[in-house]
Amino acid sequence: MSAIELRKVCKKFEQANKQLRNLRVLDNISLKAKKGEFIAVFGPNGCGKTTLLNIIAGIEKSSSGSVRIDGKCPALAKVGFVFQNYNESMLPWRTALGNIELAMEGQKISKKDRMRIAEHYLKKVGLSRHKNKYFYELSGGMKQLIAICRAFAYDPDILLMDEPFSSLDYSTTRKMELELLNVWRETAKTTIFVSHDIDEAVFLADKVIVFSKRPARVKGIIEIDLPRPRKLEMLSSKAFIRIRNKMLRLSEYET
Amino acid sequence: MKHKRPYYFIAPLMILIAWSITANLGIISPLFLPPPQTVVLELTHLFVSTQIIPDIAFTLYRTIIGFLIAGIIGIPIGLLMGYSDKIYHSLEFIVEFFRSIPATALFPLFLLFFGIGDQSKIAITSWAACLVLIIHSMYGVRLGKELRMKSANTLRVKGFALFQKVIFPEALPQIFGGMRIAISLSLIIVVVTEMFIGTSFGLGHRILDAQLVYNLAEMYATIITTGAIGFLINKSIIRVETGVVHWNGK
Ligand SMILES: Nc1ncnc2c1ncn2[C@@H]1O[C@H](COP(=O)(O)OP(=O)(O)O)[C@@H](O)[C@H]1O
Ligand SMILES: [Mg+2]
Repeated sequence: MSAIELRKVCKKFEQANKQLRNLRVLDNISLKAKKGEFIAVFGPNGCGKTTLLNIIAGIEKSSSGSVRIDGKCPALAKVGFVFQNYNESMLPWRTALGNIELAMEGQKISKKDRMRIAEHYLKKVGLSRHKNKYFYELSGGMKQLIAICRAFAYDPDILLMDEPFSSLDYSTTRKMELELLNVWRETAKTTIFVSHDIDEAVFLADKVIVFSKRPARVKGIIEIDLPRPRKLEMLSSKAFIRIRNKMLRLSEYET
Repeated sequence: MKHKRPYYFIAPLMILIAWSITANLGIISPLFLPPPQTVVLELTHLFVSTQIIPDIAFTLYRTIIGFLIAGIIGIPIGLLMGYSDKIYHSLEFIVEFFRSIPATALFPLFLLFFGIGDQSKIAITSWAACLVLIIHSMYGVRLGKELRMKSANTLRVKGFALFQKVIFPEALPQIFGGMRIAISLSLIIVVVTEMFIGTSFGLGHRILDAQLVYNLAEMYATIITTGAIGFLINKSIIRVETGVVHWNGK
């Protein structure tokens, strides 16, 4: 059984202007993720990536098609979601530690264990000394790491990440990616990571799914056979550049 | 922060200068506008003789009690209206209706129910402040970021926990904004009720008494005192606010 299985998922949005035809966003998306697999979804802005994650998380309904998480419907699964906009998805009135704890407050976990687990993840991403800072006192990169820690601390069946680093600069992004892989390796959660950054998708994933422009169709699936753990040097390796070029070819020429 | 201080005094100083020139040169008759020095003298007299202290105490007491009652009733109602569409739609008409009617127009009604003592003064004040607090608390909830609720929802934080951990803190900055408006309004309404509903103490009472006997120096001295009190209670709320909602605007 696949950890995540999408079959022919379509999504149309009604437009606010009723004279316009429904907006087709997802066109027959099928994909499978094995347990512990890290999948990147790569596609241009506005193609429907966030919509796809919302549907997998059960926040939004598909127009047709089916979504299964460990064989269950999304509403019954535990889904960890890291949103693109950390300033609107996290709690600025709580500390770094408090934000991670929130993930465990809806479950039967004692205060002591919550603290222990939260501190464990903070340590993993190297933010232990910032644990008592308020969320707004952290830099953008740190904020998103806290959001990632929160998702892991929830101990979800699957993890969804929506361009978590898209607002960070190049070198911070690379640093954050290493930290992310560092936490991910420990738990090996099945992950779908959405990105419009080619390097990011290739660097992180086991498999990249390339989306077309809206309405999003699967244009191709590329296996990334780079060894793990991934290292920054790989970004300039021959293998990396070969995969990168393959992806460029696949995504550039729209049919 | 340090550089803010001098700017504080520019506008008041300009008004004082304009006032001093017009009054001292006799452009306006001292019968209507006594010169500042006369008013300052009167102000000193009112405080040194402690005459004005009971008035300040009574006005403050009514303002604060009225405001507190308004908070206890208005904030929960506003939060509920923001949270639940059903409650919003059942109360929307009443709130919008009474919000357009000046509380002071309802004097007779309040006198009928609460008599001519302190009770009706406080009741009218609470009423007016309550409407302000309902509206601000409601918008506090409604303007909350939907994504914050959604993301807490994906973590299975729901029901009352969601309200307590996400919705209420998110509404706090708006609630404080409402509290600042409500406390100023409370002071205004208290002073007006003291002018029109019989009482032996209160700044409004003193203003009206001075007016009736053409003691304009005393009238302006009392008005200045009222303004200063309004300024100070507003400042104290801002103080609490910056401590409590420290994340606001960050
Ligand atoms: N709730 C909605 N109602 C109508 N249109 C929407 C809604 N959500 C997204 N869209 C539209 O769907 C398209 C895809 O959006 P999105 O999934 O956010 O793209 P991406 O995340 O790939 O940038 C966009 O054109 C967007 O305007
Ligand atoms: Mg998006």
